[in-house]
Amino acid sequence: MTVRDLALESLERALNAVVALDPDTADRLAALHGKVVRIVLSGTGIALNLVPGHDGRLQLVGGLEGEPDATLTGSPFDLLRASDSADGHAQLFAGRVRIDGDTRVAQRLSAALAALDIDWEERLAAYTGDIAAHEVGRGVRAARAEGERLGRSARTNLSEYLTEEARVLPHRYEVAEFLADVDTLRDDAERLGARIALLENRRRKGDAP
Amino acid sequence: MADDPDSTHFGYRTVDSDEKAGLVRGVFDSVAANYDLMNDVMSFGIHRLWKRFAIQLAGVRAGQRVLDLASGTGDLADRFADLVGPDGLVLMTDINASMLEVGRDRMIDRGHAGNLAYAQVDAEALPFADDSLDLITIAFGLRNVTDKERALAAMYRALRPGGRALVLEFSKPVNRPLEKLYDLYSFSILPRMGQLIAKDADSYRYLAESIRMHPDQETLKGMMEDAGFERCDVHNLSGGIVAVHRGFKL
Repeated sequence: MTVRDLALESLERALNAVVALDPDTADRLAALHGKVVRIVLSGTGIALNLVPGHDGRLQLVGGLEGEPDATLTGSPFDLLRASDSADGHAQLFAGRVRIDGDTRVAQRLSAALAALDIDWEERLAAYTGDIAAHEVGRGVRAARAEGERLGRSARTNLSEYLTEEARVLPHRYEVAEFLADVDTLRDDAERLGARIALLENRRRKGDAP
Repeated sequence: MADDPDSTHFGYRTVDSDEKAGLVRGVFDSVAANYDLMNDVMSFGIHRLWKRFAIQLAGVRAGQRVLDLASGTGDLADRFADLVGPDGLVLMTDINASMLEVGRDRMIDRGHAGNLAYAQVDAEALPFADDSLDLITIAFGLRNVTDKERALAAMYRALRPGGRALVLEFSKPVNRPLEKLYDLYSFSILPRMGQLIAKDADSYRYLAESIRMHPDQETLKGMMEDAGFERCDVHNLSGGIVAVHRGFKL
């Protein structure tokens, strides 16, 4: 029993409080009842297991014996970005987050968590009445939209700086081109391999009496 | 254990073996309604962490069959039912009908259905086939069982080879200062809290006494080995106030 258990307990509570507010996500998680998805934070040695229950409540278990249904491995930052519904797949395909095991389970779980969209207005209305809640809800939505806009522009600026000005990172077109080249090379190599096998086969047949 | 084969402990009192089950029933009938609240208050909420630790040692996988003895209000059964998935089975049991009823209502309120079954079961005479279960747990229950050896033997019998048993129970603190503090807490403060919250000081005095009479870490480990369990290990929690014993049937 360590500090980590305590942290897991409070993280589990916080997460489940959010899940309980969003019936849709709870349903999607409940469909994964009993499946184990292990998250490995590379570089930290920390692994934790998420197990959705019958009602979508998640259990966070530190050590769990046996093989999980799926494992997600990545740095904390990459995993966080992979859970972003808009940008997540790009992270996966860029190879920053690795999925082992049943990829469908992993994807369904991360999609369910990424879709956590909490209706603050509805929650508040229970306490404050509809009109006040609507005002607050509008404020929250506006703040969130502004936050997203700022985040987007910061991201664009940063990526522009890194790719165009500092030239530290390749531009996405360069990456695409490079990946296409790699694909071509791989296919060529495979074709060559097949060709050699064919020729060897023919030679062996030719040698035979 | 008491010297006379027909007698056993009820807290610090020595009573006839036939009598103990009835006395324990009285205690739990009395505390059933406030059980969860008292657990949280008495252990300062730490019992959740103890149980969480036990669940890690349990190694429950989807599709398994789990027997939870002395389930009480079902803290372990609740989590197990989510871990075994829709194809597994959790048997939630208690010898005490009032506790089982409280526990069953709570599980139904939490929406468990299909992979959770309820039964009033005596841990000493398990009504399950030999070699039929993947895991048997008893959390804070073995202390109240009249004949612990019989209960451990029954658990061993019902486990399938490769299965394991977990005993989560109060134990003996491993250092002296903690032991003193703990004694003060259990004999002076605990019964008063019991009086205040559950209006029942006697039951909580029994709790403190029964903990002192319960075999310590090494003794219980020896008892498990005598019952046939192999690769037994002990994990002390909170300085030995609580210990998890684990044994495998191989």
